[in-house]
Amino acid sequence: MIQKKICLLGSFAVGKTSLIQQHINSLFSDKYLTTVGVKIDKAVFEIDGKQLSLMIWDIAGEDDFTNIRPAYLRGLDGYIIVIDGSRNSTVHKALSIHQKVVESCGEIPVVFAINKADIKHEWEVTEEQFSQLKRTDYPVFETSAKSGQSVDSIFSNLGGQLLQHHG
Amino acid sequence: MDKLEELIYNSFDVVVFKKDTNGKFIIHSRPTDWLLFFLNHNSEGTYRLTQYFPYLGCFIDEAERHWKSGKIEALTSGPWVEADEKGHELALEASAIKIDGEDILLLQNLGEKYRQEVQRLQSLREGLLSQEKLENEIAKRTRHVQQQKEQIAIKLVSLTSYRDEETEAHVKRIGLYAAAMAKALGWDEQRIDDIRIAATMHDIGKIGIPDKILLKKGKLTDEEFEIMKQHTEIGANLLGDSNIPVLNMASTIALCHHERWDGQGYPHGLREKEIPVTARIVCIVDKYDALIHERVYKKAFSEDVVTKLMKEMSGRSLDPELLELFFELLPIMQRICSEVTDKVTDNRNQDPYELLEEIRLSDIA
Repeated sequence: MIQKKICLLGSFAVGKTSLIQQHINSLFSDKYLTTVGVKIDKAVFEIDGKQLSLMIWDIAGEDDFTNIRPAYLRGLDGYIIVIDGSRNSTVHKALSIHQKVVESCGEIPVVFAINKADIKHEWEVTEEQFSQLKRTDYPVFETSAKSGQSVDSIFSNLGGQLLQHHG
Repeated sequence: MDKLEELIYNSFDVVVFKKDTNGKFIIHSRPTDWLLFFLNHNSEGTYRLTQYFPYLGCFIDEAERHWKSGKIEALTSGPWVEADEKGHELALEASAIKIDGEDILLLQNLGEKYRQEVQRLQSLREGLLSQEKLENEIAKRTRHVQQQKEQIAIKLVSLTSYRDEETEAHVKRIGLYAAAMAKALGWDEQRIDDIRIAATMHDIGKIGIPDKILLKKGKLTDEEFEIMKQHTEIGANLLGDSNIPVLNMASTIALCHHERWDGQGYPHGLREKEIPVTARIVCIVDKYDALIHERVYKKAFSEDVVTKLMKEMSGRSLDPELLELFFELLPIMQRICSEVTDKVTDNRNQDPYELLEEIRLSDIA
């Protein structure tokens, strides 16, 4: 079985833990519970007949009090950058984190998830920001950890990229 | 291990390891229940810890450097969370420390200390979220006030539209072209918003020009032209004498939008940078819109002809540097021109602000 390490990265309270919980346990809670430090989960995929074991690192979101420790990115094979569609500031944070990862790990598989699609009427991500993300040519998904929309897709897309990258 | 040492380890819920020469860790204190669980009850006493705790894979390199550096203080890994046999979350933290020349690794169950840290950060982050929401709400309301200001301006300007050939669409386009230029010049958001509104009022002084002159089909006599020129000062007076920045800007534009770069304009014959930049911008975009559209006295010219004519005006009636910038922005100007049309604005039920919003200035680099 192929084993890979992936991280969920993004600003605080964008729904990283919720996306993992929805993907692994089909669970969702409306209550915001902050992550401190790192939580590691495992998920096994089968893509094109190949078994892929993902070690999913849920890393506390960046804010004024916490920065992502560069050591967390050691051995990273791919990552999901999560944005809260209803909070404009999380786009800037996502792009700066992405830049940081590219500088540290080079170009490795990545997926952008614009989360909280269940409250799209409250989204503040502008067309300009959407275009900016799409121009990067990375896969961009509109997700909802609450409804489950595209949650599995972000993991399977990243899984597919990892297998391609693996050769 | 003496009794006191053991009591200390128990009290901190910590397990002590010494690193051996093969990179494995030898347990030095009594193994706790949680440790035995994660070690799969392996009681060999020597472990490759990264195998049982993948998180440590990221920390060991840092720890090695720390041990080699000979520093006395401990290096901590930061907390990570594991689930115990009952599925309960257990927050652990590793610390690397050098004691008596030995590389020591401590593994601690953070317990209550972690829960307190979670509570502290939870409360801080909830505070940040509330603050962010509040700031967004203020920004939203400010935008709403700005929209109202724009609506008032458009309504005010539309008074003149009933009398002359200038349409609502023309004045709206002038505002948008000017805002596009301002954005490209790197102005701040407030000033861009101001010129978008202020530019629409450039011809408001025409309200004081008699119908027989304003609506005259043929060429104006010298005397009539002198009266027509007064629209600049009438507009400036109408809009001036307020403490409202957007109206002050509008007053300046109304007064100076017929000044020329070569000093041959009116009402004061200002030249080059004596002419306020806002007026120099409006002068360019007003010319463009007039040339590209049909008027009672002329047909619409093609883009090529308009570009040629405007280039001929460079350094004469128009600021050459700003005109250069205008040409760089031509695709955006063309988009504004095609999307804000008289056909749309003839619909009296249409909210004028919506029309302005249809042009997304965010497309401007």
